[in-house]
Amino acid sequence: MLALDTLHGIRVVASPSALDAASWPDNTTVLRLAPDDVFVIGATIEHAAVIATADADAIIVAESGFVGCWLHNDALAEVATHIEWHIPTHRPAFAQGYVAGVPAKLWLTDDRALLLCASPYAHDLSERLKGSA
Amino acid sequence: MSDTPTSAPAGRIVVDGLPIPYETGDTVAVAIMRSGGHPKHGGTVCLGGDCPNCSAIVDGVPYVRTCQTAATPGLMVRRHPAVGNPSFPAVAQPDITRTPVTDHVSVSRASADIVVIGSGPSGVAAATSASADGHSVMVLDAHDGNEVVAIYGGPTVIVRRPEGMLHVHALRVVVATGAAEIHPVCPGNNLRGIVTARAAEQLHAAGINLGNAVSIGNAPVGVPCTPITGIIVRFEGSGSVSAVVTVGDDDVEVTTPCTTAIVGLGLAPRDMLSRMSGGLPVGLVGQAAEKFALPPCPTAGTVCPCSRVEVEDLEGVWARGFHELELVKRASLCGTGTCQGGVCGPHLRAFVAHHSGAEPEMFTARPATRQITLAEASADTYTDVFRRSPLHDEHLALGGQLDRFGGWWRPWNYGNHEVEYWAVREAVSLGDVSTLGKLVVSGPDAVELLERLYPTTVADIKPGRSRYVLLLNERGHLIDDGMICRETDSRFVLTFTSGGAANAEMWVRDWAETWGLQVHILDRTMSLAAINVTGPLAATLLQRVGLVDPPKFLQHRHDTVAGVPCHVMRLSFTGEASFELHHAADRSVELWRALMEAGRDLGIKPHGLQALFGLRLEKGHVIVGMDSELDSTPRRLDMDWAVKMDKPDFLGKTALVRTASLPDHRRLFGFTMEGRAPTEGSPIWSDGNVVGHVASSFTSPLLGHAVMLGWLKHTPFPERVQIDGREASVAQPPFYDPKGRRARA
Repeated sequence: MLALDTLHGIRVVASPSALDAASWPDNTTVLRLAPDDVFVIGATIEHAAVIATADADAIIVAESGFVGCWLHNDALAEVATHIEWHIPTHRPAFAQGYVAGVPAKLWLTDDRALLLCASPYAHDLSERLKGSA
Repeated sequence: MSDTPTSAPAGRIVVDGLPIPYETGDTVAVAIMRSGGHPKHGGTVCLGGDCPNCSAIVDGVPYVRTCQTAATPGLMVRRHPAVGNPSFPAVAQPDITRTPVTDHVSVSRASADIVVIGSGPSGVAAATSASADGHSVMVLDAHDGNEVVAIYGGPTVIVRRPEGMLHVHALRVVVATGAAEIHPVCPGNNLRGIVTARAAEQLHAAGINLGNAVSIGNAPVGVPCTPITGIIVRFEGSGSVSAVVTVGDDDVEVTTPCTTAIVGLGLAPRDMLSRMSGGLPVGLVGQAAEKFALPPCPTAGTVCPCSRVEVEDLEGVWARGFHELELVKRASLCGTGTCQGGVCGPHLRAFVAHHSGAEPEMFTARPATRQITLAEASADTYTDVFRRSPLHDEHLALGGQLDRFGGWWRPWNYGNHEVEYWAVREAVSLGDVSTLGKLVVSGPDAVELLERLYPTTVADIKPGRSRYVLLLNERGHLIDDGMICRETDSRFVLTFTSGGAANAEMWVRDWAETWGLQVHILDRTMSLAAINVTGPLAATLLQRVGLVDPPKFLQHRHDTVAGVPCHVMRLSFTGEASFELHHAADRSVELWRALMEAGRDLGIKPHGLQALFGLRLEKGHVIVGMDSELDSTPRRLDMDWAVKMDKPDFLGKTALVRTASLPDHRRLFGFTMEGRAPTEGSPIWSDGNVVGHVASSFTSPLLGHAVMLGWLKHTPFPERVQIDGREASVAQPPFYDPKGRRARA
């Protein structure tokens, strides 16, 4: 069974230009969920100070509502058998869609991938990917 | 028809409990016919996979075409009943609280520019041509273990293989499946001993002696038989064919004795895969693309062996005015069986052509072309996901009975909803409201957006205050409700119902974009959990865990509760003082346990939806979608108080203004009745007529009688009605604490 852990970070909804201009610490993972929406794993609200300055109405909140796990090649290949959509071939890439019938996201890097979903889906995603650990 | 003994059998299968030997290369159908039997109980056998006349239960799976199934040692075959359909296997009552488990059928995926279905000459030619053009090509043929059963959008070709299912994504599909042989339709065509020419060739090649065989029409190649001329009038025999009666140009019937009748009556395109692919890039080649002549209009006999439709059934349907192919099909069920017109299609078209004077196109086909199991059909598909709150396991540990509501698993009760009810009314109780929709709206146009969206005033809500709101569509119909909590001049938190949250989010985003307003929107529904602390001792409990000065009614603020940062909202749905604690989902268990522990001596209990539904009903609070209908206006719900018609504009105002002066014959009323509450949905009677129905009902432990919300849909609205055979009175909600003193306490 996949062990899906809570991903701590911040969620920022702001103007796309403010998000484009933001820089994040090296040890963070930046997932652009939408043009105006970013989930930065490993970041704290202080890291978004620049955005708060650029966009006074930006929504910047601590985010712990996602769970995920890193997958290496074999596990990713197994997870891919539960995906109907085309997985991007370029790296890095961010993709969102159903995985085993569960709304999920994939952050694909050169050598591994982060599979994540909203925490209320964690149980089903984990159960349905039992063989992918 | 029987075997000509040559050597020891390759193995045995079991048919209807009896062992049947088979030879190497035999299909199940051939093995049965080698033993002198019929794979069904009669009817023309084609051995081409086109008809239902060899389908049987194989290893427990019904409707398996035995002519396409290799005989293997120990295969268990049970023929379908001679009359009627095979019965469904008994299934134990499933546990609705668990996601169903099905037989696992694996799915693999592939892609190709061109998928060619069929590896005959036309398929090979199409594949060769596509390859020469530089396309990647995949050829799929049932004889190679790749049985194509459907083509879906994409196009996606669904293939059944011995090891599982294969889904092939293609740019274009070429159907090269050839043609099927036409079956005879005449009296006696359900007898045993009738085979098509191709079937006769297969049986002969398998070493099966066809006995005294005659052939009508195109004769089989290399099969010893006596050709006879003329048109078939009928087959004669008892159980098995004993003679064929034909008629020639001289109109004289000729009876020819035989033990096997071989029919070569022409071909029809095997184009079902194409006919289920309307609008997709799917083409036909070879015989599958040919337009063959139709057979003569049938005059008697079984047309559709799947549904046992006789020619006289078609005539009856025609006489009743069904004069289109699709209508004749639906009215007679001819073509709706497992072969989807593989046998009856040409005859049905000939029938309609003869009677209407115009040759109709063949009807649309539906997946799957072959009978596949539910496990195969559902392979790689999943049941809807029902979300789990972070307190899911806490509920189970407390004995919670969970069920699905609004897309979530939620506790219905913890064993005794009345105990939970009294905890709310007399002490303190916790409810998991993590499922509520939670939206943050921020920006210079936030007020403008909300003023347009909601029928109440928003600009006058001060930061730190909140207001109950209805969400209406353009027609003025209620689509959701919730709270507006103002945090700053330009930032708000909106809440929505659990089931309506996703739609409400789209609604808000869509209108913000449509109006071009400058706002940011963040859906926090799944990131934040929420616990409702409710009851007369709720404030006492919160003070114990650090919330020294809980907010007043309809106030809210961010504070720390039991060490957990919370957005505390003071409101009431239960009728008692209530505090919703919205907090990070990963801190929820910690907060829940701290509250339960701190409230132990206060008599704290968790409450589930069963108690909550009753508590709110005593207050007359409407649940959207349960008490409201799709076209419920605030007036119909007696909620005009939540609409400020003097606002310049809001979504739905135009419709409400227009309909305000029109008579309305529908309204939601409160009702009371002695005794226990009737079932929700019960009809409401007045003067012997049904005038409405009960939307919600609850036997109030506190009031000692039933309270209800229900719809009256006939005017004048009566004051006394009958429900469940008892007298009931219209009563103005709230039924409990009408002044709302307890909620504000």
